[in-house]
Amino acid sequence: METRVVVRVLIVGMLMAVAVGPLTADQVKAAGAASSSSSQVAAAASGEAWVTKTITACDKKKTVIVEGYREGEVLPPEKARQVAKLLMALMKYCDYRVLARLPQQETTVYLSIEGQPFVEMQEVEQKLPLLLVQGVLPTEREKRVWAAEQKRMIEEGYKLFHSSVLGTNGISCDMCHPDASNTHPETYPKFQTQLKTVALLRDQINWCIENPLEGKKLSGDDPKMKAMEAYIYSARSGKILEPGKH
Amino acid sequence: MGTGNQSKSGFARSGVIILAGVLLGVGLWPISGGIKSFAQGQKSTPYALELPSGVLEPIIPEDNPLSVEKVALGKTLYFDKRLSVDNTISCAACHDPRLGFADGKKVAEGIQQKKGARSSPTTLNTAFLDAQFWDGRASSLEEQAKGPLVNPVEMGMPSHAALVTKLRKIPEYRLAFQEVFGTEDFTIDHVAKAIASFERTLNTFNSPFDRFIGGDKGAMSSSAQRGWELFQGKARCITCHEFNTAYPFFTDNKFHNIGVAMKAVNFEALARRAAVETDVAKLASEPGAAELGRYLVTKQPKDIGAFKTPGLRETAHTAPYMHDGSEPTLESMIDFYDKGGAPNPNLDGGMRPLRLTVEEKKDLVEFLKALTSDDLLRLVKDLQGMVGR
Amino acid sequence: MKRQTLRPEERKQFFTSLRKMSRRQFFSTAGKVAAMAAASDLVVRFGNHIISHAPHSFQPVELAYGAEKFTFAYVSDTHLLAKGMTHRFAKAALKAVRDANAMSPQPDFVLFGGDLAQLGQSEELKLGKEILDELKPKRYMMVGEHDWYFDMGEKWRELFGDPWYAFDHKGIHFVILNSVIVEDYWTAPKMKPMERMLFMAQLDNPRGKPFTVGEEQRDWLQKNLAKVDKGTPIVIFSHSPLYKYYKPWNFWTDDAEQVQKLLAPFTSVTVIHAHTHQVLTNRIGNIHFHGVLSTAWPWPYAPEGLPKLTVQMDRADPFNQFDGCGWGTVDVLSTGRANKSYKLWDRNPMNVTAAQLESGKVAAPGPSY
Repeated sequence: METRVVVRVLIVGMLMAVAVGPLTADQVKAAGAASSSSSQVAAAASGEAWVTKTITACDKKKTVIVEGYREGEVLPPEKARQVAKLLMALMKYCDYRVLARLPQQETTVYLSIEGQPFVEMQEVEQKLPLLLVQGVLPTEREKRVWAAEQKRMIEEGYKLFHSSVLGTNGISCDMCHPDASNTHPETYPKFQTQLKTVALLRDQINWCIENPLEGKKLSGDDPKMKAMEAYIYSARSGKILEPGKH
Repeated sequence: MGTGNQSKSGFARSGVIILAGVLLGVGLWPISGGIKSFAQGQKSTPYALELPSGVLEPIIPEDNPLSVEKVALGKTLYFDKRLSVDNTISCAACHDPRLGFADGKKVAEGIQQKKGARSSPTTLNTAFLDAQFWDGRASSLEEQAKGPLVNPVEMGMPSHAALVTKLRKIPEYRLAFQEVFGTEDFTIDHVAKAIASFERTLNTFNSPFDRFIGGDKGAMSSSAQRGWELFQGKARCITCHEFNTAYPFFTDNKFHNIGVAMKAVNFEALARRAAVETDVAKLASEPGAAELGRYLVTKQPKDIGAFKTPGLRETAHTAPYMHDGSEPTLESMIDFYDKGGAPNPNLDGGMRPLRLTVEEKKDLVEFLKALTSDDLLRLVKDLQGMVGR
Repeated sequence: MKRQTLRPEERKQFFTSLRKMSRRQFFSTAGKVAAMAAASDLVVRFGNHIISHAPHSFQPVELAYGAEKFTFAYVSDTHLLAKGMTHRFAKAALKAVRDANAMSPQPDFVLFGGDLAQLGQSEELKLGKEILDELKPKRYMMVGEHDWYFDMGEKWRELFGDPWYAFDHKGIHFVILNSVIVEDYWTAPKMKPMERMLFMAQLDNPRGKPFTVGEEQRDWLQKNLAKVDKGTPIVIFSHSPLYKYYKPWNFWTDDAEQVQKLLAPFTSVTVIHAHTHQVLTNRIGNIHFHGVLSTAWPWPYAPEGLPKLTVQMDRADPFNQFDGCGWGTVDVLSTGRANKSYKLWDRNPMNVTAAQLESGKVAAPGPSY
């Protein structure tokens, strides 16, 4: 399974584990969270000495350090469920050695994958999705490539949007939509009153090309159409999705 | 489509009542002694419209639910010439099942061949329209039914009261109204409700186009399929002639000035007069004033010359076209749009030359012909015997 | 805009009651009628108590608070391309000219609000002149940025004369400005004329320079106004709005405060401006601001900066080539203030009265774009 996907799923699983996790005591046993080592592990991330309990999964690779409980102490059922769920998720989704720290507040989970420094769940959330390429964070070059390609597509769309080449009568999109205002890409798919049916953004772009611009429709996989969509969406970045809104 | 679901328990009973209605319609009046009178109390067997899945129910007024008996009574009235002052014109005279439920004429012709100013629209699928008449002056079928009865160039009754008096003298009607509405002293509202209920059953679906939309790609010829694409695209039809699964009737129920008959009329003088005239129906039958269209109802200058978008189901059978019947064929009608309508100061800004090729125009005609349904043929078969009574 | 649909009986009653009213009663209900007129587009003829209603393109006679002194019309922002008379912009410009010509009675004069051409080309300006020559009333011309920046107004001056000037009419002092002066952006990069024009032509140009009236015209204005009595009503025609609405689209005049300061001493000042292609209303101190419609296309309302007094026009439907576009009239009242009527095609006209601006009533918020 591709690492990026693995880790993304891993994160989701862990979030679920932390947030919900209703497992019975039986399931806890079945998860095989048997061995608990008696070592007290200092929190590497926080640098403080906490009372902790360590639980290792049966594959010997996934370990959860639960803060606030001593070794040998029996976890309350809720907590046990969370730990079990966390371990199950970790085991299910990857083969790496993972050390997870579950602080008492339970709002954050710290992960250390294969000996890498601990990172907070939220940080991980931002950095890791799509970003672990074969276990390694993306390189600067890669990030620059992605940004450059995105920018190029958007600029191409900007140029098309602000010129009259798509039509035959000199009218350009920016005449009714300066700065792509009034395009509302975040409301598609929606019932488009000109088309009398539920349509996508590209259907409306094509309608505008045919009608006010008196030009010829673009096919869905035309790079010009993709560029236009890239520009229009980028201009409305940050708006919440409200498909169907008029 | 068009006939309703009979509730199982009332099947036999309603069958008998329909028979009674048919017998009445067949004109056994002179032999009145032979007609059995059925149950004296009010009868109301529910009548559920059978609609294809996804189609939104039409709006039926709460005070006029459909019933089998009411529909039958309405049918009788619809075909009854005695509703006109000289017993020559029934609703079916201008809304004839054999002629697409219209009359094939340029403008309507009433008693004594008196001519109106507008083309008779079809009564098919009118249950689904927001408003009736070309200018939308009636907001329900009940209201519409009352109009022609007292229009001097249509059915010519001097008043609704006069019609009611006339009908109340007919024993068969007294019985029928007793049964449907629970009173022998029926009013014009009862008459209108019955007629409207009958009209609400005149719905047609199941055309080759409907089957094509339903997934049968072979249901429509490839020319008609190209026509459908044009209808939604280059020919710009769909924006006013709305079609989708929930509302498959090809009208937006709005009013547009597309430039029909805007040439020869002095609109300023007419508009001034119309602004103070409150009898809209009167003006709507006057050649000249009738051309003001929706303006007669709203008195708003933007509505001068604007007429309701008609539906397009069965359109191949409802020639001639436009509110004044000025386009005799589908081909001529498409040419009119291809030109961009007729220029006039109030022309809807959506009208513009379409630059259709000869082939494209043919495809559009083929598409429109594919809107003729099996239901229409069945309705015609069921009802053509009623005409001419 | 909400439409009042009276039932036939109510309509009949209304008309009958109006006809029967005494002169005093009529005046007292005039206000209500005017409000109703604004809401429902019934038009009432003021003066001889006859209720008459005429199609807007034939006869827009408005009920005004206070007697109307005179009316002028405007046609603006035609943005013509050199594609002949059948191009939709040319057709729209012609439509406005013919609607104005159909006014009865005729307006005292017609103002052209600027942006006659789209790219400042000779052919475009000549086409525009041909269309505007059809206007029957006297015509006053004003320049916009689309007319100016191809050749810095050379062809404009040849065809239409001075880009700024003043005149008096029936006791009102009119001033026409060239309020689209911008800082030189073309000399350093050695731009060719078409490049310079295209730079100005894009409304949302992120590198665009803000409009100004400029020092030369402000000095001229000061001297011109020095000869005018402070009680004389002033009407300023300007392409840019002479206030600050939305800088990214140059709905903006950078030296607005300085210009407004010159106008402050006068009791009644009304600015009629173009460029914004939308129904737009504002008041700053003693100055009323009214935007005018374009015949070619509508601009959307800006994401921010919209004056609170503006009642927005509804969004245009791009299926209809004339929707959101039109022309208009201004009734100059005996007070020198102005009532504005936006003649939107295929819609009911929108009317904004001086009294509404005086009352400072904030409009209900409209849609955000």
